[in-house]
Amino acid sequence: MSAKENLPIQQLLNAQDYIADREIAMSLHLAQALAKPLLVEGPAGVGKTEIAKVMARALDTDLIRLQCYEGLDAHTALYEWNYQRQLLHIKLEEGGKKTVEEKEATIFGKDFLLDRPLLQAITHHQSPVLLIDELDRADEEFESFLLEVLSEWQITIPEIGTIHATHPPHVIITSNRTRELSDAVRRRCFYLWIDYPDFDKELAIVRGKVPDIDARLATQICRFMELVRQQKLEKIPGVAETLDWARALVALHQQHLNPEFIEETLGLVFKDWTDVRQMKESLPEFMQRLGIRAKESSLAPEEIRQSHA
Amino acid sequence: MPSLPGFEDMALHRELSANLTGFCRLLRQQGLGTGPGEQSDALRALELVGLGDAPTFRTVLRTTLAKNPAEREIFDQCFERYWMVWDRAHELNRQLREKEARASASTADKSGTGKAPTVTISDWLKRNENPETDAEAAGYSPFEVVTRKDFKRFNSADLHEIIQLISALGKALATRFGRRYQPSRRLGRLDLRRTLRQNLRRGGDLVDLAHRQRQLKYLKLVLLCDVSKSMDLYSRFLIQFIYAFQSAYRRIETFAFSTSLHRITQLLKEDDLAPVLEALSRAVPNWSGGTKIGASLSAFLDQHGGLVDRHTAVLIMSDGWDTGEIELLRASMDEIQRRARCLIWLNPLMGSPTYEPSCRGMQAALPFVDILASAHNLDSLRQLVRHLGKIQRADFKPNRNQRGQKKVPAPVLQPEEKVDRQAWLQRFGKTS
Repeated sequence: MSAKENLPIQQLLNAQDYIADREIAMSLHLAQALAKPLLVEGPAGVGKTEIAKVMARALDTDLIRLQCYEGLDAHTALYEWNYQRQLLHIKLEEGGKKTVEEKEATIFGKDFLLDRPLLQAITHHQSPVLLIDELDRADEEFESFLLEVLSEWQITIPEIGTIHATHPPHVIITSNRTRELSDAVRRRCFYLWIDYPDFDKELAIVRGKVPDIDARLATQICRFMELVRQQKLEKIPGVAETLDWARALVALHQQHLNPEFIEETLGLVFKDWTDVRQMKESLPEFMQRLGIRAKESSLAPEEIRQSHA
Repeated sequence: MPSLPGFEDMALHRELSANLTGFCRLLRQQGLGTGPGEQSDALRALELVGLGDAPTFRTVLRTTLAKNPAEREIFDQCFERYWMVWDRAHELNRQLREKEARASASTADKSGTGKAPTVTISDWLKRNENPETDAEAAGYSPFEVVTRKDFKRFNSADLHEIIQLISALGKALATRFGRRYQPSRRLGRLDLRRTLRQNLRRGGDLVDLAHRQRQLKYLKLVLLCDVSKSMDLYSRFLIQFIYAFQSAYRRIETFAFSTSLHRITQLLKEDDLAPVLEALSRAVPNWSGGTKIGASLSAFLDQHGGLVDRHTAVLIMSDGWDTGEIELLRASMDEIQRRARCLIWLNPLMGSPTYEPSCRGMQAALPFVDILASAHNLDSLRQLVRHLGKIQRADFKPNRNQRGQKKVPAPVLQPEEKVDRQAWLQRFGKTS
């Protein structure tokens, strides 16, 4: 395969309206081909989780998602016994002649097992995409537990035995870097850092995701976001915010940015009140840099005439 | 080197493997954890994708070799250095090998003579060897017992006791319940899994109930240490203190700052203090330089702000002598206090009767400090531990304010003499 032509995965991703640059496509390609988990890091709202969703669609397989949170443990991630059902079963069998051993064998069988995401991923009938989302939120103990599963692709349930993966899943791990993941996890994964998109990429994303947007509006929005991300903010808006904003402006039938609408919709883009306040102050300067005229002159000539009349 | 069937040109392949090995060695030398696993990943990936153009080559190597943002940065520098001068790769390789040989030789030499590490740190270590001659021997009196001995006079034999005290400090900081459960004899939540298992032998009637309860979890610690010139008197203690913290407390991140910020957590993981000193002198070039606390704290928030959450106690160790922007210090302190569980300021110079914190930095920082303590000797450390132990688990959030509310003054801990905070503020600080 020549390195010049597009990777097949890139074509698949593009077909799903996901604008993947070469690095993203290459990482996904390598992770998939060499059967390694891909660790994706980057600021919030740049489409880390989206990668897994799109990849599942592109490969035409299922997405199994494990959302991590503090205190997540093996029972929630792997499997749990269905206690209610077990108790009921014991009660129903009460008068029967079964020995304790037989009872035990029944109620600790596969029928009484509740499979959680990791077990689901291993026993799936085709290779699914396993998304382990925000691993940094889970604690370190869970990380080590996860390593065990990721390296062997097998799970041992004491009552049943060892279950091997017939179709190892494609694993995508995301992290927001609220804490450093352990080196052991990093070593086992390929690594992809996604940053805020540059102007061209963001424009392509906006036009892909909000098809009925005015070309001029889309350009202005992306220029605006480019400027915004150069500011020192508490929470830098991500692509998700750009898209929300673009959709909102389209719903409000805007063809171009104007200061009033920006001010009214700031809450869609900035999620911290100091940022909103800061933006309100520097809005005139922004408008100037974007080449957007002030309020009055943004009206069409007929409207000016009407307002004068 | 394993042979790769993907490349027709075996000579090219050998060349590539050799160069890749050299490159990985360079990365390792720059502090990356590039092992044989990564190297073979990179080769496999190259085999899969083909050599292609330079950007592809770079992407493939970066995906397989660099595993976090910091490593990516180093990777990029090394990549330029190594591959962009392909012709010089062999030369560089040779140099690296020589350098490594030299380095190992010199370490062997050092361990043989047992000589102290060089550069700035050793300089002040020597200077502080004779503290009695030091005119500014703050808080020291020759008649005092060991516990009141000022830390700057401590030698490494005292390190053990400091470590013990800091372990106690760590325990006192273990103030949150985790979200995981562990088996418990006392009442807690019912553990259905164990209950069912234990009672199956009796035919399935639930007679003995098993319980579980939340584990007690330790807070994470972030230690920010001022190593500037003004803290020089305490530098010896400082290093021991940092080192002791690191040894006693597992979940800790340590930073040193003077005019800029350095993450030194990894450096402190050595078992012996001497190599740590050596590594520190290399990693923190402006040791005993000026102070820009505000800029350093702000840099900390920018680069490592994610480390601070509501399960984190932040300890700042500084005299508050700031030559930078005060407004920046104020804003950063505010931000850190809002994010962290508690913000403790240790000011070793407070133990000195001659010390006057008239500096603007300390005044600016004070409103955002949850606990202010002088940690200049073992007594004061003990007191801090006691104080932390006294605080009830549930309401361990002293001085928590919503933005815009009036700040409640933080308790000031100072051993021996009772410090009246108002008097202290009147004397040293101006409340605006």
